[in-house]
Amino acid sequence: MGWILFKRAVRDLKSGFARYIALALLIVFSLFIVISLMGAADTIIDSTVISDRELNCEDGEFSVFVPLRNEEIKKITERGVSVEQMFYVDYSLNGDQVLRAFKVRENINKISLINGTLPANDSEAVIERRYSEVNGISIGDKVSIGNKDFTVTGIGAAPDYNTVIKKITDTVVDSRYFGLIFVTPEAYDELYSSGCSIASEEYYYAYVLNGAMSESELKAILDDNTFDVEDVDDEYFKEYWDRMTERKDELLEGIDELKEGASDLADGADDLNDGITEFHEGMKDLHDAVPDLTDGVEELDDGAAALETGIKEYTSAVDKIESGASDLSDGASALAAGTSELNTGADLYGTGVNELAGTVEVMSQNEVPYIAEVAGGFLDPAKALATGFAQIQTGIAGVNTGATSMSNGAYQLYQGIKTLNSNSGALKRGAAGLHAGTTALKEGVADLSDGIDKLYDGSIEISDGSDELAKGARELADGVKDFSDEANDLIDEVFNIDLSNLRVFINKADNPRIDSAADDVQINYSASIIFGILLVVLFAYVISVFIVHTIDQESAVIGALYSMGVKRRTLTLSYVAVPVIVTFISGVIGTLIAIFTPAGIPAQMADSLGYFSMPKMDIIVKPFVLIYGLVIPPVTAFIVNVLVVRNRLVRTPLSLLRNEQKAVRGKELKIKGLKFIPMFRLRQIMREIRAGLTVIFGLFMSLLVALLAINTSVYCTNVKNSYIDLTKYEYMYNYKYPTEEVPEGGYEAVAEGFKKEIYGYTFDVTVLGITKENPFFDVGELPDNDSDVVISSAVANKYNLSTGDIFTLSDDKGERLYAFRVVGICDYTASMFVFMDIDRCRDLFNEDDDYFNVVFSDHALDVDGGRLYSTVSKEEIARSSGIYVEMMGPMVTTMSVASAVIFLVVMYLMVKMMIDRSAFNISLVKVFGFRNREVRKMYLDGNFYIVAIGALISIPLCKMIMDYIYPRYLVSNVGVGVTADFPPEVYAAIFAVVIVLYLAINLVLTGRIRKIKPAEVLKNRE
Amino acid sequence: MYIETRDLKKSYGEGGSFVQVLKGVSIKIDKGEMCVIQGTSGSGKSTLLNCIGGLDDIDSGNVSVAGTLVECLKGEKLSDYRRANLGFIFQFYNLVPNLTVRENIQVCEYLTKDPLNMDELIEVLGLTEHQYKFPSQLSGGQQQRCAIARALVKNPKVLLCDEPTGALDSKTSRDILILLEKINRQYGTTMLIVTHNNSIKNMVDHVIYLKDGEIYKDYINEKKVPASELEDL
Ligand SMILES: Nc1ncnc2c1ncn2[C@@H]1O[C@H](COP(=O)(O)OP(=O)(O)OP(=O)(O)O)[C@@H](O)[C@H]1O
Ligand SMILES: [Mg+2]
Repeated sequence: MGWILFKRAVRDLKSGFARYIALALLIVFSLFIVISLMGAADTIIDSTVISDRELNCEDGEFSVFVPLRNEEIKKITERGVSVEQMFYVDYSLNGDQVLRAFKVRENINKISLINGTLPANDSEAVIERRYSEVNGISIGDKVSIGNKDFTVTGIGAAPDYNTVIKKITDTVVDSRYFGLIFVTPEAYDELYSSGCSIASEEYYYAYVLNGAMSESELKAILDDNTFDVEDVDDEYFKEYWDRMTERKDELLEGIDELKEGASDLADGADDLNDGITEFHEGMKDLHDAVPDLTDGVEELDDGAAALETGIKEYTSAVDKIESGASDLSDGASALAAGTSELNTGADLYGTGVNELAGTVEVMSQNEVPYIAEVAGGFLDPAKALATGFAQIQTGIAGVNTGATSMSNGAYQLYQGIKTLNSNSGALKRGAAGLHAGTTALKEGVADLSDGIDKLYDGSIEISDGSDELAKGARELADGVKDFSDEANDLIDEVFNIDLSNLRVFINKADNPRIDSAADDVQINYSASIIFGILLVVLFAYVISVFIVHTIDQESAVIGALYSMGVKRRTLTLSYVAVPVIVTFISGVIGTLIAIFTPAGIPAQMADSLGYFSMPKMDIIVKPFVLIYGLVIPPVTAFIVNVLVVRNRLVRTPLSLLRNEQKAVRGKELKIKGLKFIPMFRLRQIMREIRAGLTVIFGLFMSLLVALLAINTSVYCTNVKNSYIDLTKYEYMYNYKYPTEEVPEGGYEAVAEGFKKEIYGYTFDVTVLGITKENPFFDVGELPDNDSDVVISSAVANKYNLSTGDIFTLSDDKGERLYAFRVVGICDYTASMFVFMDIDRCRDLFNEDDDYFNVVFSDHALDVDGGRLYSTVSKEEIARSSGIYVEMMGPMVTTMSVASAVIFLVVMYLMVKMMIDRSAFNISLVKVFGFRNREVRKMYLDGNFYIVAIGALISIPLCKMIMDYIYPRYLVSNVGVGVTADFPPEVYAAIFAVVIVLYLAINLVLTGRIRKIKPAEVLKNRE
Repeated sequence: MYIETRDLKKSYGEGGSFVQVLKGVSIKIDKGEMCVIQGTSGSGKSTLLNCIGGLDDIDSGNVSVAGTLVECLKGEKLSDYRRANLGFIFQFYNLVPNLTVRENIQVCEYLTKDPLNMDELIEVLGLTEHQYKFPSQLSGGQQQRCAIARALVKNPKVLLCDEPTGALDSKTSRDILILLEKINRQYGTTMLIVTHNNSIKNMVDHVIYLKDGEIYKDYINEKKVPASELEDL
């Protein structure tokens, strides 16, 4: 077969040994780094999985106010969930260091010993690996915390403290100042009872679900646990508790009163309703009685009419009687007169009789008329006559008297009747008046009846209304009762921290302390895969440029071979052989170095081991890494070169034989006014556009690497500088149990912790309510409402927020969302703060008017440690922010150098090849008499423009790519809101370095041009 | 006829740069014939050779070689045709610079199932002592012999030579011609030799003279002279 052509390839390789070695070294180096990173990542990720399994790493953890009671633990464990106490206490040592003491773990989060043994007695301890390394503590050393000395018997790591950070929100590990110590349970208790801890004991538990229940189920069970306040012995807690419960009681009382009031109101409304009902019933009776009344009045009226008529009849009768009486009186008068006359007559007659009788008297006694009878015989009759007459006379006199009396009487009767008659007018008038009165009464009664009708209707309405009122009042009362129930629940909920024993609940995935190394290297892994391929593509492409150069030189030969029937495939393969061989061998070497030397995978792992606290690990090389290292380079080179070479070989044998310059680019290029040399230079650029583009591609790749380094450097420096510059306070005290009064010299604030997610990681964002007087934050005027906020630039940077944006924060439990609008961004990158006015903040979170839980100050305050969650000092911030710079330093240097080397090699090889390609032409123009300087201008200086333009395009492009990648993939797991924005000088500096590197190469290659002799042209032809 | 062109027309370029190079060339060459094509520079000799060799397309007419219609072949088929039938020799030898003489010959050895014996061929061509040298270490004649060996190793039916002696002195030229003659005799290879050299026509069977793309003369040489006796080379 065409194997013989591969001999050609091998010889080609030999003749271009220097350049292939240079490229091979770059590929070896690239693959060495890539495979090391991938291998280290694999090892760390896999080992983490294995050790998590072996050490029984928790599924999550929770902390409580009061240790769980046995029955509470049983509730969980009897369903199959494992739980173990992870109580800890922090102790200070050597002044500024903190050791967190744990009991030796039994089942969950077991300690992986790197050296030594677990503590066998109360004076022995295991120290966490990173702390021991950084502080040079080894087995047998003594560590003194509290009032106890411990002998270190082991160095170990715990899976729940893969990242050994004090607070879960800490962004950087500082093992110089913080570590873990594991002691026996007895020693732990003894130590704590000595009372020399810096903070109160934290009651953490780790759990492993064992598939027995879901996380939310477990959380629900734990949420239900309440605790007895009496069980807590933290005095600060108690004081705080009392204050809180007081407030709660007040609230509850208020609600009770409200409830009672409503209930009273309902009762009153009921009574009112009853009264109104009664009234209405009376009204109804009244209404019913009105017709009777009308009837009565009518009868009365009738009676009065009858009376009037009667009276009228009576008076007319009286009238008649009067006239009768008058007639009677007249008659009686007449009678009296008659009788009087009779009397007189009688008198006269009597006298006569008397005289007779006198005579007779003479005869008889005269005086007694009637006794005149007595005299005699005649006397007697005379006398009797006289006497009789006397008697008659007397009778007549009596009649007269009687008549007179009668007349008088008749008169009087008449008079009386007359009076009566005159009185009867009054009677008549009275009767008429009475009648009129009754008539009026009758009308009045009718009106009354109407009125009562209306009243009655009204009363019905009132009654209905009152019914509704009563119902409403009842409902109100019920509502108030419901409200009070709800309010009670709500209050219970608001005061939940106090009622529910559960304080913190965090699962493994959300816990930044667990599996963080594995998380951290994941990006190395993906980035390596991509960068590796990109670099191999670059180098393969560089090789392809050489191959193309060779093909161009040998085109007639190729044409000759074609013409005799050698196939393109055979030739293509023979040309592609060189890059495939070079990349394959380099890949093998790079991979072997990565796997088998300490500078490879172990060195990369050391990066992680130097930061994370991990158990011992054996290097794991997975097939994919091997395949990557051994297969990717040749395959990539094969693909790249086949694509390039095939294109070259696709020409006809004839055109190859004639060595036709495939439509020499730039030939038709003629720009008026351009002098010969610039014109020539332009054509040369066009002719060598492939090499030019390769230079740009190489420049681009090396700038990508360079900018990764510079971005990292700038990012870390920004963290360091801005943290220090922008942190104006010296101390920030985070209260667990705030005092009532703000400590003297401090500025109070309200801080509420929230979570916010970005690029797959969740960080804590603190809503900070500050007072107007607070001198440490330059936030300007804070809005007077609870939805507009000023955010720190850390938040703005991390979450890509700008003024006017609306964003949400979710509370710790992820149950509630708060939306805010950004009205300002304050230049503060050290913490992710969302600033509000302190009062608005208190309102928003339903806190008292004088509530606070954070105090800032510019000097140390006298605050009891037991009240605090933590203290943040500026010094600490400065210290931890500096760690980034320290940590990233070597990586930045390595990458900067690597990028410069990539650029130099690619640039050198390409330009050198351009010169080689033009060697014939160069010697020709020298023969024509051009001087070296002019030749350099014609053939070399064009590259300056390529490099300059390439850099002008690549630098911003690479920066944009980096700015995209950086926050999303490289620092997405870091809770730091700093940007890697460059000042313009940095861009200028990068550009300057590129140009300087170019000039250096130019200098070297100018020498090469000088060496090309005019005679070359003569011997150059075969 | 072994090689035959009928009314072969070929032009290059368009518009102002249009040239009608072959204006209807018809030739017939028998199997085993040695044929010389002569003509002034630019008369279309190389073009004719290339058309026969399938290196160039034709505008119209036919080209048939060993019963194959060349103008109908494309791509792989064309390549297979050349592989099966042709050997090329050029004025500039076009050897692979970083393969030795022997290796250069080996490149074409694999193209056929029964190649000629390598060592014999090298021996015949007098390259034995040079077989491990690289082309750059050889003289022009030696290089051309190597190129001939390369063309012959697969035992082609037709050998197309475009000015095989163009770059050589007369002694070396003669050596090459003697070689070609020998091969023609030994293997019965049909040969088409384009040349400016006027005396070469005396050693061949058939002479074609081109002028401005047309056949000017086409005759069979009755009095063949062996190459060793050619004059004025
Ligand atoms: N690819 C091409 N494009 C344009 N014109 C061409 C091309 N190849 C050949 N010619 C023209 O065709 C004509 C014939 O060329 P050819 O090479 O066949 O001549 P020749 O007889 O071999 O001449 P010489 O003896 O100088 O080699 C020439 O005028 C040449 O300019
Ligand atoms: Mg010619």
